[in-house]
Amino acid sequence: MRHVIFLVGKDRYALPLDAVREVVVAPDRYTRVPHAGTSVKGVMTLRGRVVPVVDLARLLVAAPSEGQPAGGKVVLLELTRRDLGLLVTEVEGIEPIEQVDRPPHTTSRLVRGLTRVKEQAATVLDLQGLDSAVASAFATE
Amino acid sequence: MSKRVLVVDDSVFMRDIIKDIFAAGGFSVVGEAGNGVEAVEKYKELKPDLVTMDLVMPYRNGIDATREILRGDGKALVVMCSALGQETMVMEAIEAGAVDFIVKPPRAEDVLAVVKKVLGEG
Amino acid sequence: MAQWDTSRYTSLFISEATEHLEALSKELVRLEQGEVTAEAIDSLFRHAHSVKGMAGSMGFEATTALGHKLEDLLDRVRTTPTRFDRGVADLVLQACDALTAHVKAVAAGQPFPDAAPLMAQLVAATQSMRPGTTPLPFKENAAPPLVETTPAPESNLPPRWLISLKVSASSAQPGVRGFLAYKRLGSLGNLFRCAPSLDEVKAGKLQGGLFAVELETTETEANIQKTVSQVADVTLVSIEKVVAPPPVPAAEEARPESSPGDRVVGQEPQRTVRVKTELLDEFLDLAGELLLATAGVREAGRTLHEDARSQLNVSVDRLHGLVRGLHDKVMEARMTPVSVITDRLPRAARDIARRRGREIELIVAGSEVELDRAIVDELNDPVLHLLRNAIDHGVEPPEERRMRGKPPRGTVKVSVRRASDRVLLEVEDDGRGMDTERLKTIAVERGLITAEQAKDLPERDALLLSAAPGLSTATTVTDISGRGVGMDAVKRAVEQVGGTLEIISKRGVGTTFRLSLPLTVAMVNLLLVSVGDDVYGLPIGKVAGVVETTRATLAHSQDLPVLQFGQAVVPARELSALLGVPARLHDVNAACPFVVVETDEGRVALAVDALLGQEEVVLKALRRPLDKVRGLSGVTVLGNGRPVFILDVARIDAPAPHARAAGGDA
Repeated sequence: MRHVIFLVGKDRYALPLDAVREVVVAPDRYTRVPHAGTSVKGVMTLRGRVVPVVDLARLLVAAPSEGQPAGGKVVLLELTRRDLGLLVTEVEGIEPIEQVDRPPHTTSRLVRGLTRVKEQAATVLDLQGLDSAVASAFATE
Repeated sequence: MSKRVLVVDDSVFMRDIIKDIFAAGGFSVVGEAGNGVEAVEKYKELKPDLVTMDLVMPYRNGIDATREILRGDGKALVVMCSALGQETMVMEAIEAGAVDFIVKPPRAEDVLAVVKKVLGEG
Repeated sequence: MAQWDTSRYTSLFISEATEHLEALSKELVRLEQGEVTAEAIDSLFRHAHSVKGMAGSMGFEATTALGHKLEDLLDRVRTTPTRFDRGVADLVLQACDALTAHVKAVAAGQPFPDAAPLMAQLVAATQSMRPGTTPLPFKENAAPPLVETTPAPESNLPPRWLISLKVSASSAQPGVRGFLAYKRLGSLGNLFRCAPSLDEVKAGKLQGGLFAVELETTETEANIQKTVSQVADVTLVSIEKVVAPPPVPAAEEARPESSPGDRVVGQEPQRTVRVKTELLDEFLDLAGELLLATAGVREAGRTLHEDARSQLNVSVDRLHGLVRGLHDKVMEARMTPVSVITDRLPRAARDIARRRGREIELIVAGSEVELDRAIVDELNDPVLHLLRNAIDHGVEPPEERRMRGKPPRGTVKVSVRRASDRVLLEVEDDGRGMDTERLKTIAVERGLITAEQAKDLPERDALLLSAAPGLSTATTVTDISGRGVGMDAVKRAVEQVGGTLEIISKRGVGTTFRLSLPLTVAMVNLLLVSVGDDVYGLPIGKVAGVVETTRATLAHSQDLPVLQFGQAVVPARELSALLGVPARLHDVNAACPFVVVETDEGRVALAVDALLGQEEVVLKALRRPLDKVRGLSGVTVLGNGRPVFILDVARIDAPAPHARAAGGDA
């Protein structure tokens, strides 16, 4: 199955290609979402649509990353009747991934498993886990 | 042969302006009337090709006169003359059978354009 | 069975069969409450017959068989209306439900549910009813009632033309011009579907002077053109023949297979097309985005040289007018009668009342009133819920009512009416009313309010406690207060669409729930304010006024800053604190605008950094996950492409963990 491979900081991650609608250059500024958690970057507009964007680095490590450099890419997920963007550092490309190994001890519901892409380790993300983590980042009490 | 027009307006001044416009446009004004009652009589007598009809006049207003004329001659071509702000009355006149309207103060090209269209010459 | 491809008729089958079945159940309930007339039963029979016929045409054998059995029973009832009793009514309703389940199965592409036991019951009931001996008057018409009145063949109708006209912009009285053209065309035949409406044409309110009308006439195209050409200042933009709607399979079993589509079911007096509701949603989205795009063009033009800009602005103004017109039309197309909700109520009322041993008369009024589809959709469940509560907990059992000197049969009235730009929907019962003292006691027990607050709580607020989240879910309240669970969900749904809920209740006399609803949800007038680096929109309807003052001069009440507003004193809050967003450093001695807004808790003054102006915007609903964010009611995109959140002003001052008072930090 083909996956989109991208970097968050220096770490390599993967999402199934059919879960990704498109990748766009991150906007210069976002509109802040009140009350939202720190992993919520804000909302951006894309062709008139309002797209919430989540900083994947913060969502994954649940701690402030050392001053996220400006720029980056927004990976837009393919979801029915709604939009969600993930801010990542860079998108590397599309690669086939056949085998995903469950990590020895599951650390996060965001992670589906580990794999190797071109001799390098990559973490395959779990779409559902991601979705519910995002929902709780927005939901304020 | 030039078309025969009856001009109905309670103001002599306005009738003169309209008459001049028609004369310049090659129409022949065969009669004038200063109120609705007179208009109906003149119409029966002259059988003009077209009538320009003021809306607000003494004795019988333009809408009633139009109705009366059309009762006698279903094919009569009556063009209303109205001022801005009389839209509702004009529409009433159109319901009554008026074929078109011109807005006062009349401008020659507008009046002739409307009249020619009504007479199928435009 | 017919050999032709039925799949393209499936959606039509679903919608028409559903309509028949809904009508059947509705009429049956009405019949139960009124007199059983031959005509009424005849009508039931015809609905069943239609569904059976359509199912037959589609080749749905199980549905056809079930429909046939129902038809048999109703046919028998026709001859002996005196035998029509509750048992029969129940059976007919069950059959109706089963048929509806079949239609739903078709829609979902699933197999038909088994209806064999029900069919056996229908057969048994039919056999147990012996044909009457006295012929009924309607039976004297020997011919069996037909599903469809035989329509005039297509060719007998005069052709219909769609005519688009333009009234010249220079016309002195464009409304009269348009009206004249309309009248002239009307002299040629019959006019239909003037768009915009004739009233708007007469008022001269035409975007770009354009309007269109359909004309059914035997005149030639040339004659139509000539007629238009005789009206000064009006030009013919286009004329085209309206294509006849596609033929629909007729609902008859014995139809020759060779000509499947040469008959039309019924005849519509006004031609309509069915449009998928999703398509309407998309239209609205697109029209909304067009408005935004137009604003974007205007914004981009600000950098231009003055001459070029004014030229551009003329075009943008015109474009904006056109797009706005389009948007209005789309909104109009989305208007849906409330009957979509209320039509289901008689049946629901009957079921609930029977289950709970209540006797109910349901009165529905004003179901023709129209609302935006999105609102109607959202209200379906809440209204049903209010009805259920009214019957379950409002209206007393018959014996109790007798004791109280009330008629044993309770009345529930659902009425809808327009009140200027709002629609009022009321669910009113003549039941036991609500016990506000008990509500207050329980609210205090549960820590929702303090005993002090309870003492001073006005009646209407006390009643609204029944819709407070912590209370309405408490089952103990259910019967004490005369209200059931889930009232908080009702309140939330109503507010979600921009409406308000009001409760009026008198002990022993009854309760009224009043929903005040906006006609549409799409456009909203905003006051834009800035806070720190952010911009937010406050709905103008909720803004009571603006006061410019310094934080230092604020008075204090119980240690909290308050602002004098008119005759009253209102609490003053930092908007940044309420939203939990960073504030700009401010000087307590510098003047600052305080926007006084109407919240659920009363008026509150919000300190903001600056007022940025007023703007009419297209409201976008918040989708997951943004709908989870407290304090927001929607979002819009400004001309500069910047998204701006619209604040949920009604609840902006709801207790928040970190809310700080104004003037606290400097």
